Amino acid sequence: MENVEKKLREEARRLLAEKKVDVVVGYEEGTLPLTATPCFITTPDQADRLVWNPLCVQNLAKFVHDLLSQHHEAQKRVKPEARRKKTVGVVARGCTTRSLVIQLQEKQYSRDEVVILGVPCGGYVDGRKLASLAGGEEIREGSLRDAKLVVKTGKGEHDAELHRLLADCCLTCRFNQPVIADSQAGEPAPAPEADREYEAVSAFENLPVEERWAYFEKEMSKCIRCCACRNVCPSCYCRICFAEQSQPQWIGIGADASDTQLFQLMRLYHMVGRCVDCGSCVAVCPMGVDLRKFLKKLDKDAFEMFGHRAGVALEEPAPLGAYREDDGEDFIFEPKV
Amino acid sequence: MTETQSDKEWVPKIVAIVCNWCTYAGADLAGISRIQYPPNVRIVRVPCTGRINPFYILKALQEGADGVLVSGCHPGECHYITGNLTARRKFAALKSFLSYIGLEGDRTLFTWVSASEGDRFAQVVRGVTDAVRALGPARKLVKKFQATEIPI
Repeated sequence: MENVEKKLREEARRLLAEKKVDVVVGYEEGTLPLTATPCFITTPDQADRLVWNPLCVQNLAKFVHDLLSQHHEAQKRVKPEARRKKTVGVVARGCTTRSLVIQLQEKQYSRDEVVILGVPCGGYVDGRKLASLAGGEEIREGSLRDAKLVVKTGKGEHDAELHRLLADCCLTCRFNQPVIADSQAGEPAPAPEADREYEAVSAFENLPVEERWAYFEKEMSKCIRCCACRNVCPSCYCRICFAEQSQPQWIGIGADASDTQLFQLMRLYHMVGRCVDCGSCVAVCPMGVDLRKFLKKLDKDAFEMFGHRAGVALEEPAPLGAYREDDGEDFIFEPKV
Repeated sequence: MTETQSDKEWVPKIVAIVCNWCTYAGADLAGISRIQYPPNVRIVRVPCTGRINPFYILKALQEGADGVLVSGCHPGECHYITGNLTARRKFAALKSFLSYIGLEGDRTLFTWVSASEGDRFAQVVRGVTDAVRALGPARKLVKKFQATEIPI
């Protein structure tokens, strides 16, 4: 890890010194023990703030899109001859590069506006699993050495294997290597058990319909519609989200359960073939809604119906923006004569 | 249309979102051929099935429709060449997802009816009405507090 970090800092310093990028989006040490937080490095001497460890959670592609779309917007008010290009460097693990690919496929910015610093990823630590390791106590101190995580709370010390604390999406990740990168720091990480990817989805599919509905209703009743999942999602970048649209108003502002269900349903449905399973939405959800159970189904469908894996190839368009003449038709209703 | 739901026993309310060029013309043909079919569908005409935002279907269910039927030109016969082919993908994903979360599969139905198939349109409406009737009134995803009672 130290080696990767060193290379990452060197590369960031070089890019900034040579003015190849205006900003590098990466992770830095968080203000609380055992956390890392996204940071923006703009000068070469700040490059030493960058860290890379299993505590780096968020998908940074979101910030790349934010920075570049704001820049594009601002440039509209500048005389054409005074316009300038902004280039963003980004520290990217497998899922982040897939999100970048999706944004590039959707023509949000061009490939030369982003410099991708690929990093190997063995998964990140799930905040909830970490909290339960600490027994719900406040973590005073913590350390991570040789795949072993130690936390100190007011009531004592706990430790666990790193593997036990990894987020669910990381345990069955299929693309833990960057799919595109301009530079790669460190050796590729070992591949997780990608074959078990859809196990939970298949199990859920086989439940009786009423049980599935009860689960959906229960999970959605937790949602407080804070929209954190949408705000953190790199595939959610509409300038006006349907959730806030007033003409037409898709989502009522009252406390009716169906409005919350509809908000979640609609947001989830946007993710057909666009969800990279980075787990950011699950990580930020303050209510612990099991979003992954539903997102993974969309991923599975996109693969099984349309042979599409989200954000893997630059040339391949999103499945709902394309068609094949021989797409499956088994869902079509045929009346009995 | 002053009758309300409370006045008599339940009959299914079905929203049919149909394309202007095929199914709407097919429904017209059914009408001028005087083919009888159940009066439970409310037809919404759109230019093409490709124009249908999947939210329309969800919104119809939320606002109290017991079933939603979507119908357009047969694949390969779209007035806009490929509108129904992209729509087919959207509906395949939507239907599969709605069944996954626990909505009955027969609440949302998709089919193709061309302009010359007046009798097929009548059969489809009969089939859809029977399917929705068998499921009973919609309970899932329905908004509890409607602004006004919807006339049946």
